[in-house]
Amino acid sequence: MNYFPDEVIEHIFEYVVSHRDRNALSLVCKSWYRIERCTREKVFIGNCYSITPERLIQRFPALKSLTLKGKPHFADFSLVPHGWGGFVYPWIEALAKGKVGLEELRLKRMVVSDDSLELLSRAFPNFRSLVLVSCEEFTTDGLAAIAANCKSLRELDLQENEVDDHKGQWLSCFPDSCTSLVSLNFACLKGEINVGVLERLVARSPNLKSLRLNRSVPLDALQRILTRAPQLVDLGVGSYVQDPATETFVKLMNTMHKCKSITSLSGFLEVTPRCLTAMYVICPNLTSLNLSYAAGIPGSDLIKLIRHCKKLQRLWIMDSIGDKGLGVVANTCKELQELRVFPSDNIGHHAAVTEKGLVAISMGCPKLHSLLYFCHQMTNAALITVAKNCPNFIRFRLAILDATKPDPDTNQPLDEGFGAIVQSCRRLRRLSLSGQLTDKVFLYIGMYAEQLEMLSIAFAGESDKGMLYVLNGCKKLRKLEIRDCPFGDTALLTDIGKYETMRSLWMSSCEVTVGACKVLAKKMPRLNVEIFNENETADCELEDEQKVEKMYLYRTLAGKRKDAPEYVWTL
Amino acid sequence: MEEEIMVMGTLEQLSSVSPLSSSSSSSSPTTHDNNNINSSINNHPSSSSSSCSSLCVSNVSTKRTDLSTDLRLGLSLSPSQQLPSISSQQIREHRSFDCWPPVKSTLRSTLVEKSQTTSSSSSLFVKVYMEGIPIGRKLNLRAHHSYHALVKALSHMFKTTILCPGSHQLPLKSGNVHVLTYEDQEGDWMMVGDVPWEMFLTSVKKLKITRADRC
Repeated sequence: MNYFPDEVIEHIFEYVVSHRDRNALSLVCKSWYRIERCTREKVFIGNCYSITPERLIQRFPALKSLTLKGKPHFADFSLVPHGWGGFVYPWIEALAKGKVGLEELRLKRMVVSDDSLELLSRAFPNFRSLVLVSCEEFTTDGLAAIAANCKSLRELDLQENEVDDHKGQWLSCFPDSCTSLVSLNFACLKGEINVGVLERLVARSPNLKSLRLNRSVPLDALQRILTRAPQLVDLGVGSYVQDPATETFVKLMNTMHKCKSITSLSGFLEVTPRCLTAMYVICPNLTSLNLSYAAGIPGSDLIKLIRHCKKLQRLWIMDSIGDKGLGVVANTCKELQELRVFPSDNIGHHAAVTEKGLVAISMGCPKLHSLLYFCHQMTNAALITVAKNCPNFIRFRLAILDATKPDPDTNQPLDEGFGAIVQSCRRLRRLSLSGQLTDKVFLYIGMYAEQLEMLSIAFAGESDKGMLYVLNGCKKLRKLEIRDCPFGDTALLTDIGKYETMRSLWMSSCEVTVGACKVLAKKMPRLNVEIFNENETADCELEDEQKVEKMYLYRTLAGKRKDAPEYVWTL
Repeated sequence: MEEEIMVMGTLEQLSSVSPLSSSSSSSSPTTHDNNNINSSINNHPSSSSSSCSSLCVSNVSTKRTDLSTDLRLGLSLSPSQQLPSISSQQIREHRSFDCWPPVKSTLRSTLVEKSQTTSSSSSLFVKVYMEGIPIGRKLNLRAHHSYHALVKALSHMFKTTILCPGSHQLPLKSGNVHVLTYEDQEGDWMMVGDVPWEMFLTSVKKLKITRADRC
């Protein structure tokens, strides 16, 4: 089997980087398993409760970079009650105890206490990169510890977290000796920061490539910062409010001419739309534009800006751009690969987006492969056209604001439209459905969506058959999340072996009973079957016939978790 | 332009209307939902971790056990009321659409803030009188973005010809041509149109439509 000495194989393995490939390597034979595990530096754990930290450390002694995900996806939409779990502290504690040479930590939907940040900052002398996405519970005190103690910090990236801002001087905690910053993103912080401290930090960070500011950083400070950091590649503007007839604004316009390296732009958390003209000079270089938090930019100004962005590959925008605006995107952004259109609270329906905008995009942007589209309505005809124009979709997520709306032209469900999408897009890995849908759409998904890994369903289907079509047909399914569908015990229990091939299943407001969940839990010891019981009191008995409000099950080697709150019953 | 006035008017109405009533008549359940989105924005407080904030559409949130009772009650209403047939779609529409559309809480709170700030500065209602008519009207100046739009709206509202500021039309002898004047913060009556629009908005207190041959 082994014609090469270990050192050669190790060297070859260095070139194998992706998690899936490395996982595949480890399954080939015992010696490859051994070599792979001893050389693996980056590990991805999609469910922090699927394995214990001790087991992780034991298997991968060379661990340097860890990604952990905690709460289920529907936690983003307030469907998971507070205190469910996903605590990172035990992980950091175990990594510290195991003397792991941790350099990078990336967390998503986890509960991160200030204590854990404090411990993280002290226990790992080579720590250099912290990325927190949709996490909660930490405050600026925790950030201060990271700033103060991580001597070679390169990256501090906070994306969409709920942070308690103690208005402390956390930025000041970066010592003067800290000159290694490459990426700093604090856009999600609500509080004030000391602008002078920020400017000095930027001035002594020659490697700074990515900087995303929060709304407390005014336009004049932005101008001064950009003067010091013309090498920036990724810029997140905080507050962008100014009278265009001022010298400050003229200065900014001039400074922007020097920022030729910026390819990614975001933010504009507060904005004077007329000042966006200063950005036009960098627009031709942009490959990524995220205006999903720029609620203050009206559609007309969005359109004017986008006309300059011919190289755009990723666009995140609000539906205030309107169908017409999406037409402009389709004509301008021929390189577009990823589009997200978010709902604004726009009362004027004439500015909202419908199926027309999506069809225009599909006609103008053949490279499109990822879509998240909130719209007021969708038709089968439009989806069929989109499927034909864009057969390369990897991610297709549609959210119609009226969740059960049928095709407004024909009054039919959207089964045929989504059916066309799965039939045409052979590489589809992620799909989110909405609109009026019968069991038929699931028949199509089961038949055609061979690469599907994640499926999100809401207010759809008519019977257990729908869910069964999916479970039977989608061989690569990893995550299934369902809310408000008439799927019940038969669907849940018909193919229980399937769940060990998946990461997790979420079902809320469906027709599943407690009894069925108990049966499932008993038959499958390597699944944790959790029921959330929010309404009942703690000492109330769960009766078998009762319908389950929320159920979350996941495969695990760690057994029942010990940190579940009172309302979570692990069966 | 009138559509804008109506939209602003509806916003005002909705803020005093309870979430379950609809402010426009419609037979399609979907439009009803959209009205609920609007009123939800004005009525619901920002989210806590276990409840959802303003972008949620809350229809009749019935517990599942009560659903059959609701359906039976529906059937027992008098035949003069229009009853759609009960379908599975109907059952679904009785559900609670909590936490839909699926938008992250950080984005929701941005939009809540935006709607709060724009509603405070998005209206400037002033009284408008036409010479010879004792009952005045009220108009939201911020619904219009220029003198031209304002004059057009007032012409329509009062069913008369109002000369645009800066227009070179000779005033006709007929009494059906008017000009627009305003009272400023100092109490003086001025001709509308001399100062930039934004500046006008900061100084206007009242409007008066006077006959052209009087000026």
